[in-house]
Amino acid sequence: MGVQEGLQQIFHPESIAVVGTNRKKGTVPHDIFANLLQDNFQGVLYPVSPGEHAISGVKAYKYIVDIEDPVDLAVIVFPSSVMHLAMKQLGEKGVKSAIIISAGFREVGEKGKEREEQIKEIAAEHDIHFIGPNCLGVINTGPAVHMNASFARKMPEEGNIAFLSQSGALCTAVLDYARSKHIGFSKFISFGNKADINEIDLLRYLKDDPKTDVILIYLEEISDGRALMDVAQEIISETGKPILTIKAGRTEEGATAAASHTGSLAGSDEVCDAALRQAGIIRCTTIEEMFNKAIALAYQPIPSKNRVAIITNAGGPGVLAADAAVREDLELASFNDETTEIFKKHLPSTANIKNPVDVIGDARADRYRVAVSTTMKDDNVDGTLVILTPQSMTDIEAIAEAVVEVGSHESKPLYASFMGEADVATGIDILQRHKIPHYILPESMCSAFTSAYQFHNIRQRDTNTIPKFADADTKQVSNLLEEAQTECLTHLPEMYATPVLKAYGFPTLPGGIATSAEDAVKMAQEVGYPVVMKIMSKDIVHKIDIGGIVLNVISEDEVHRAYQYILKNAHKSSPDAEIDGIYVQKMVTGGEEVILGIKRDPSFGPVVMFGLGGTYVEVFHDVSFRVAPFGPGTADAMIHETTAYNLLSGIRGKSPRDVSALSDALQRLAQLAVDFPMIQELDINPFIVLDDGEGGFAADARIMLSKQE
Amino acid sequence: MERSEIQNRVKSVIASVLEIDESTIGDDTNFIFDLGADSMQSLELVAAFEEEFDVEMDEDKALEVQTVSDAVGFIGTYLD
Repeated sequence: MGVQEGLQQIFHPESIAVVGTNRKKGTVPHDIFANLLQDNFQGVLYPVSPGEHAISGVKAYKYIVDIEDPVDLAVIVFPSSVMHLAMKQLGEKGVKSAIIISAGFREVGEKGKEREEQIKEIAAEHDIHFIGPNCLGVINTGPAVHMNASFARKMPEEGNIAFLSQSGALCTAVLDYARSKHIGFSKFISFGNKADINEIDLLRYLKDDPKTDVILIYLEEISDGRALMDVAQEIISETGKPILTIKAGRTEEGATAAASHTGSLAGSDEVCDAALRQAGIIRCTTIEEMFNKAIALAYQPIPSKNRVAIITNAGGPGVLAADAAVREDLELASFNDETTEIFKKHLPSTANIKNPVDVIGDARADRYRVAVSTTMKDDNVDGTLVILTPQSMTDIEAIAEAVVEVGSHESKPLYASFMGEADVATGIDILQRHKIPHYILPESMCSAFTSAYQFHNIRQRDTNTIPKFADADTKQVSNLLEEAQTECLTHLPEMYATPVLKAYGFPTLPGGIATSAEDAVKMAQEVGYPVVMKIMSKDIVHKIDIGGIVLNVISEDEVHRAYQYILKNAHKSSPDAEIDGIYVQKMVTGGEEVILGIKRDPSFGPVVMFGLGGTYVEVFHDVSFRVAPFGPGTADAMIHETTAYNLLSGIRGKSPRDVSALSDALQRLAQLAVDFPMIQELDINPFIVLDDGEGGFAADARIMLSKQE
Repeated sequence: MERSEIQNRVKSVIASVLEIDESTIGDDTNFIFDLGADSMQSLELVAAFEEEFDVEMDEDKALEVQTVSDAVGFIGTYLD
């Protein structure tokens, strides 16, 4: 049985055996069985409890093998010490699906890890697929199944949101939070140690689950980042279902990053953040933020544009909402003439009929109804945000009902913020029960609308077109890198790195290595002044730090002096360094210096970095990352999201730079990263971007190779 | 003490603590998986063995013992 078939049986069993249950109320083994029974599981239940003849009035079995009929799913609550015995009996009985609730495995140390490995082996031997161990359980709210195979206190309402969590404890908090807001779930899954079924399997299952429209996932570790990105992109492009995540925990790699530029600039969490965004996954920082966005996506249509109408009965909150909307990149819609005419006719003369529409403090449901329904019909409006403050004449429930009623007839998103708590509670309840997304603050409402609009853009983007540069000479690079590895070189300075880049189609600057001042003069004359002179040594990583670079050398005399100066500095700072010579290179004046790089992430694989270059890179930390490979859309996005883009696009009379040449370089770098896994890190610092149409140059580079085994 | 005597007394203790028929207890019977002992009953079993054999056992190690034959071997190490 495949994993997906196993999951189908886990979510839709016709019979469940709770293995290891008991009669002691308030314990996990008891409550799991009690929850299934009390929450009205639609199939057959079998308690397996040695030493008991019945549990909650249901005949109990000593062993699962004693059950005469077939069992689709086993929910196992025995202690970890006997889990292997239970699993063996599952195999004997022919049960193919299980949820292992019990803790005491990988999370408790070496002994637990051994137990986990043991049950994995038994499961593999008997073709059993299981969720857990160390989890809260699984809930399917669908009426045909109605399964609460968990020790959560109460079954949630039915809904179109699926929630997956690595943390069981968080699940109970989420269920409680959701219940108070009438947020329902299609599936609720705590997957614990994911010893067999993991988040990728679950996402793949939910992709085709007709009851699920929005997927929420809480993760503590991402074991296969690339697979997560692939399945997320598959879900979004094939089904349009949004995925929201809270990814907690920061790995140590970020803190102990390598001393090199790209390494130290790419903390693991930053890479994770970029990778999730690249995959179209909406990353949230709090449970509240996640649900604020989830209900917008789950309850209402997704806006195709960002023009909103704000309707309020109070000026202050209207202004706050307008400010928040602009901050969140929303546009305040300009109403068409028809809307304006209706407002003039039906709203009091003191009302503000421009956006935000102030229906005035004494507004009752009729005024709200007119304002909401009219803006929803206006072609210039992509969604309506309703604000209410409780005033003595405000008929809160009637207004909530009017909002619900208008919303039920329209195909544009409609959100509400009834501000306050006690007085507005009944109105909020009406909104929540009827799936009008409600927010305590207008700011959260605007943020949720923006998120929904951004998701519209995510669905539209093309992530499949990834170019393959035909002019990239793979064979030559392969030879160069293998040669370096044969010589046991792991740090390749510029004289080795530049030919690699050149072979992959990067424009580089003419130059060569001089081993005497006379050589240097000859080369400078060949490439033409001005030149840059740099120390070349595999033992010197950061040339600038030791005074190993002299810029703008313009004459024979200066070449002589620069040559002696660089050598003196190199000998002084690194007396044992093996010096290959001085690299004399044509110097480009003008242009903008940026940095491009490659690093390897343990979870996501090859990552490309872009940022503001030169010595400022570590000061401003203005960098962006993407997981390779990627196409032009992604390369453009990673340039646009940095502040450096403002410099490149031309400010204060400066000409715009050749951003398309930069985009091309990033895509080539991504291809290089994928083609040559032996490249652990690569920095092009600086890459000089010239004026629009004039291209750019890789002016300096270095490569770190993995050690040959 | 003879192994068979230890075995008989172990079975008797188990039957008494878990309130089950002694004849249902075999040499390889697992206290948890076969007899349904929970964590509290496991602690009670350790205490009852200590009293029965007048020994003081390492509790962590004692709780790892799960079958009759393992219990006989474990208790035997204290009686040697």
